Amino acid sequence: MTTYAERPTIDATTIAPSAKGKNFVKWITSTDHKTIGYLYLMTTFAWFLIGGLLALILRAELSRPGMQFLSNEQYNQIFTMHGTIMLLMFATPLFVGFANVIMPLQIGAADVAFPRLNMLSFWLFFFGSLTAVAGFLTPGGAASFGWTAYAPLANSTYSPGIGGDLWVIGLAVSGLGTILGGVNFITTIFTMRAPGMTMFRMSIFSWNVLLTSILVLLAFPPLAAALLALESDRLFGSHIFDPANGGAMLWQHLFWFFGHPEVYILALPFFGIATEILPVFSRKPIFGYKGLIAATIAISALSVAVWAHHMFASGQVLLPFFSFMTFLIGVPTGVKFFNWIGTMWRGHVTFETPMLWVMGFLVTFLFGGLTGIILASPPMDFAVSASYFVVAHFHYVLFGTVVFAMFAGFYFWWPKMTGRMLNERLGKIHFWTLFVGFHTTFLIQHWLGIKGFPRRYSDYLATDGFTGMNMISTVGSALLALSMIPFFVNVWITRKSPLVNCDDPWGYGSSLEWATSCPPPRHNFLTMPRIRSERPAFDLHHPHIKTEGH
Amino acid sequence: MKTNWQLFGGLSVFYVIMAIIYYYVGGEAVGITGMILAACLAGMVGFYVWFTQKRIGQILPEDRPTAEIADSAGELGFYSPHSWWPLPVALSAMALGLSLVVGWWLTLISLGALVISIIGFVTEYEKPLPENASH
Repeated sequence: MTTYAERPTIDATTIAPSAKGKNFVKWITSTDHKTIGYLYLMTTFAWFLIGGLLALILRAELSRPGMQFLSNEQYNQIFTMHGTIMLLMFATPLFVGFANVIMPLQIGAADVAFPRLNMLSFWLFFFGSLTAVAGFLTPGGAASFGWTAYAPLANSTYSPGIGGDLWVIGLAVSGLGTILGGVNFITTIFTMRAPGMTMFRMSIFSWNVLLTSILVLLAFPPLAAALLALESDRLFGSHIFDPANGGAMLWQHLFWFFGHPEVYILALPFFGIATEILPVFSRKPIFGYKGLIAATIAISALSVAVWAHHMFASGQVLLPFFSFMTFLIGVPTGVKFFNWIGTMWRGHVTFETPMLWVMGFLVTFLFGGLTGIILASPPMDFAVSASYFVVAHFHYVLFGTVVFAMFAGFYFWWPKMTGRMLNERLGKIHFWTLFVGFHTTFLIQHWLGIKGFPRRYSDYLATDGFTGMNMISTVGSALLALSMIPFFVNVWITRKSPLVNCDDPWGYGSSLEWATSCPPPRHNFLTMPRIRSERPAFDLHHPHIKTEGH
Repeated sequence: MKTNWQLFGGLSVFYVIMAIIYYYVGGEAVGITGMILAACLAGMVGFYVWFTQKRIGQILPEDRPTAEIADSAGELGFYSPHSWWPLPVALSAMALGLSLVVGWWLTLISLGALVISIIGFVTEYEKPLPENASH
């Protein structure tokens, strides 16, 4: 007789990797557009905090006459890296983050067209931006030639040291990631829309992602070319940007041929976020849907023909042409304002936190747009060029669009991304402290510029009469920094708040992302509603209200 | 797809017009070159989309205003569940960039790593040809 022993079973739980390690691997090898989008959003937010910290150092240095705690060289490094981080490591990839999370949901796609390329874009951005900032760890410090890297200042004679080389290389690598991201988004929108989701039923945000991606394809290759040529000058001693043969102007033309479309790359997606939020909290469809799309197309078309308005003071550009084109590009932007106001007009407007942020965006960006019209006029530009007036102008434009619309998007899509609502009261405290802090910091800088305080100066004399205004600006910047605290508290206390457990927590969502669960499943949709208008989710949830039938 | 190629084609034509205007009002070479290249890029994409539309020869469900969701039923396509390859490609691209500063020895190593990881990336889902394949 044979006896049998039970075959010993190996307890699988004891040898399985820990949940933390598993999650880490899942995140770094992900090909899910939502996960990659969250990676982008988290990384860019970290860069936003670092760039903001650098700005606080700059403001502290300028609070009183005399050098407080920085040397001139350190000051130069910090404003250079503040600009670089905020524009190319925060704002540009923030667009990629929002586009990744939201756009495939809005067009009814299961993922982006090239999921692995998407992850490659993220890693190129991640490592490229680390490279660009690594200059701080080198003996000579980081790049200190300003984020515009004008020739000949950026060459190896005037800016020796590897900090500058790391800056150039890092931006080239990160720019490659941005280009690949643009290709991915265009392909996704062209080939992966749900049946019935015609181009003219696509949400405005998705349209703006498409046109922004086109601008990325137009603007980033010239930047990459210019950066590689600059590196060749710095490293191999070529004379591409040698002022002796016109290199100084060549750099400015190439840089701003990238730089101006870049402004719209930063603006358009955030206009899109505002356009998504306004109808939801006005309980009305978007006013002038096709007009908004036409305005965005006009902006993308015109934005390649206005670059030299950044170079008026060089005295070597066609003032009438670029001035006229710049006034012209103000028209479609005005059309957008008209449409946003028309959307709210006679609607049942309520001021939940996302809507509040959009109001902040409208006010702030309007100020920036108006000073932009002033600067588009060469006689007025000459008077304030390279002064704090310009600094105030572009902070109103960029902070107004990017940061206000970013927080609007966070509060609006937080339930879609996490399944949980953020706290309304803390959100309102966050908004008002940030709003007051921002305008205290930057409104005064208009007058500072008119009185003649030049940008990028680390110091001024007590007799210059800049002290009071600089002090006000510095106090404002401290308030601006403190306004981040309610946001962090908000994220922390709502981390375990009850799940919303519905598709559309705001109640009046229009675009398709509100027709799937919060958060959406791996390939986004378990069921897809019939798409018969530009508001498929609204039609699904409110079938008794007919919007635009076919 | 019609909207798509019209969008790119329109942008291309617009850039050409802008380049011509800029030339006639006395523009410099960099801007004219930039705008012509922009026109070529937009024109190339527009042409490709137009050409693809012609080759498909029918209106796709996503372009039909009255399409039903079921019209594109069937296989959704292949989606990579997860992938390790993007990470080494980006890492070696960064190393290749850094090698300009660090030294030529790193250029050789990182170039090799980049080529290998790109091959890995591209061929990750390549299936070997069946044994009795005719070619």
